[in-house]
Parts: sequence; structure tokens; C-alpha cells
Amino acid sequence: MMNVLGIESSCDETSVAIISDDKLTANLISSQDFHVKYGGVVPELSSRAHLQIIVPLLKDALKQSALELKDIDVVCATAGPGLIGALLVGLTFGKSLAYSLQKPFIPVNHIEGHIYSGFLMEDKPEFPCLTLVVSGGHTLLLIVKSHDEIIRLGTTVDDAAGEAFDKVAKMIGLGYPGGPKIQKTAENGDPKSIAFPVANLKNHYDFSFSGLKTSVLRYIQQKYGPEKKIPESDLPDITASFQNAVIRALIHNAERALKEYDVKSVSLAGGVAANKVLRNALGELAAKYKKKYVVPDFVYCGDNAAMIAYRGYKIYQSGKRFNYDFNAFPGLLPGTFKVK
Amino acid sequence: MKLPLSLKVFTEQDTIDLANDFSKILKPGDIVALNGQLGAGKTFFIKHLLKNFGIDYVNSPTFSIVNEYSGTFNINHFDFYRINRLEELYDIGFEEYLIRDNSLTLIEWADMIPEVLPKKRLEINFLVNDDFSRNITIRRIS
Repeated sequence: MMNVLGIESSCDETSVAIISDDKLTANLISSQDFHVKYGGVVPELSSRAHLQIIVPLLKDALKQSALELKDIDVVCATAGPGLIGALLVGLTFGKSLAYSLQKPFIPVNHIEGHIYSGFLMEDKPEFPCLTLVVSGGHTLLLIVKSHDEIIRLGTTVDDAAGEAFDKVAKMIGLGYPGGPKIQKTAENGDPKSIAFPVANLKNHYDFSFSGLKTSVLRYIQQKYGPEKKIPESDLPDITASFQNAVIRALIHNAERALKEYDVKSVSLAGGVAANKVLRNALGELAAKYKKKYVVPDFVYCGDNAAMIAYRGYKIYQSGKRFNYDFNAFPGLLPGTFKVK
Repeated sequence: MKLPLSLKVFTEQDTIDLANDFSKILKPGDIVALNGQLGAGKTFFIKHLLKNFGIDYVNSPTFSIVNEYSGTFNINHFDFYRINRLEELYDIGFEEYLIRDNSLTLIEWADMIPEVLPKKRLEINFLVNDDFSRNITIRRIS
């Protein structure tokens, strides 16, 4: 029996997960489990919040998996990219735990974790796989060739897609979190009613959402004046058109990649992968090119430790070993991905 | 470039020219606070400013709170947009970034947590006009 512990604390969420013999037995996430179990305090953006909750989460994860601490065989934790103060909590905790148990420690790249969220599904992606990682902090188009070769085709040159959702939602008064609110409001809108532009970039696989944000601002400022009082009845068309522009940009680059690269499957990951219109649009694209399509369940789209445990397990199986003094890296490690 | 400066910009190129000029007066240890509404062009300005220091990829740090780049010298690119209160900044080690005097610090949405800003700094304000031109003002505070 092989028990793998995963720890994630790169940004706002603290999460602890356990995989036992390829089966996920626990995946606890602070924002979902914190309020209910640990006294109803909303965790603020802080390393202290990670510190307060990481031990209770570990205890609960062990209990849920009917395991004791000594049963853990490998400890995996996110080492970057992320907010350094937040990263250090999970990473240091993971390293110390591994050292005290005298078990291997595996540092995991957060983005690689997201890529591997598709592998938590029963029907797994097949290599090579075209993967779109879309979240509040990242927008990446990648080809995952094998467990140890990932090629980055494109990334955002300014705002991430999820950030564009949040900021436009704020601009038009929908509030936070922007993604779900825009998706809901857009349901009754016509996505073709307003022609918001899609950026054309030098590297055809890159993304840019800053110009789109500005053009939404320009639209509402010109139409509604400096007061920006938008009648509620106009919101569905604005949100549907905005959402359509973001998704068009993502799908456009993904289709370009499908024409150029021979892949077996297509997958979607990251917090924005929870957007139903995007899930469907990429699914249709995969079907058009007769590719297998894997999209993680909602719970594995946002930050979670299950994906970190799974990715770490694969690294462990490849035979790679790391020292207990492995450092956090706030940016993307150079060389993590080959850049096309 | 003579400060204080107040300029009306009409095109992206105007903003790029201003960013290029501004880069010439910056040195490691400087702290630049940038203020302006969503879509005013703060990240755009920084993106072109940092090209002058050999940095090609500049992403918005809204989600990550801080991006670090190394070019001609080290750059800390902060964004206070998601910060709710002062303690959160102390918690992520904001002060430690500031005392590294070999780096340049840029802070978007600086006016969201004004009490944390050092007394000596450069400040840039972006104002979007009705015709979508921008008024950009740059001043030195000491």
C-alpha cells in the first residue's frame, strides 16, 4: 500500500489531500471546509490563515482516509509559483513532516498540478495532450508530451483570463467572484450583440485580455456616460459578449494548435475551467478534431491538493528525489516548461 | 524629464513614449506608486517602462500580489487591488521587499493602502477622460 500526502498553499487556499494506491481518499480545501468545521472565520489573504488551518486539515485528511501519520510514504507540496509567504507555509510544513517521518519529499510545480487535475478523472488524458490552463493568475496553452515533457505554446502577455472576468464584473457592478456572476448573468444575453475585440499577437499562441477589459470600459463609458449607471436589462448582453470574446480567444489559439500539432487528447484546467460555456466550447472543438476530451470535476478546477499529490506521485514514480532543503520559487522556474 | 509633470495622452504610443522617458530617471531603490481606475493603463505603462530594463514579459500581479523580475536590476511589481487591510501586506513581507535597495518597486493601486507607502516616493496618477484620452501626472513626494 502506497500513501501519498499532498499539500497546497500557493495562494488563498490551503488544501491537504491523500492518495492511497492511486485512489483519492481525502481532498480538503480551506475555503470549502474551513467555515463549517473550524469556527466560521473567513480566512483572509494571509500566511497566518494557512498556518492556522494546515494541521487541522491534515488531521481530518488522515481520519477520512483511516490512516495514521506513520502510514504516509511520500510527502508532496507546492513549491511555486505563488505568493512566497503563502508557499513557505505548506512547503516548510511538508519538508519538516517528511524529514521527521524519514520519507521522501517531492516539491511540485503548481501549474503542473493543474495540468494533472485531468488525471484525477477516471477517464484520463492521453499523451500527447493539448492542455489549456485558465485561472485567476494564469492563462497557458501547453502540449503535455509525457510525464516529464511539457511544451509551453503560449501564455498571457498581460492579464489572466480569470482576472479579466473579476475586473469586468467589478466594472459593471456585479461584484466578486466575477466568473460565476458573469456566467450567470450572461445566460440570458446575446453573445453576438456587442463586438468586443480579440487581440492579435506576435506569437499566435499568446493571449492578451487587458485590451478587452479596456474596450468594455470604453463601451460602458461611451454608452452610459461618466456616471456609468448601467440599466440591469443591458447586463446580460454585455456579459455574454464579454464572455464570448474571452472564450473566442482561448478557442482560437487552441484550434490553431490542433491544426499544427498531432495530439491524442485535449484537456482543460484551472479555476476558469468551471465556466460551463468554456467547458462546452472546448469540448465541441475537441469533437470537431476527433480528440478525446477530459475536463476535471468542478472541485478539481480551483486550487486543491489532490492534483499536487497526483503530480508528486508521478514524479516520485519516475525515480527523482529531492533534498529536504528544497527552496520555494515565487516565479515560474526557468526550464520548467520548454518554450515553443 | 522634469517633475512634476502633467500630460494628456491620446494614443498608446503617447503612453509608451512617456514610459520610455520616465525610465531614464529611475534607479534601484526607487518606489513608484501608480493610481488609476480599472482599465486606466497602469499595467500597460509598467509593461513598456520595464522593456527599458530588459524585461519582456510583464504580467498583471493582481492575483499573485507581487511579481518579481530580474533585468538590468531587480524589480518588485506589486498590486494592492486584492489587499483588504494593512496587516495582510505585513504578513506577506512587504517591508522586506522595500528594504532591498538594489531593486525598483512599482505598486499598482497604491492608494488602496496609502498608509503603507514610504514618505519618499514617485507617484503617477492616471485619469481617464470622457473622450478616452488620459491625463497622466507624475510627481516626486518626499
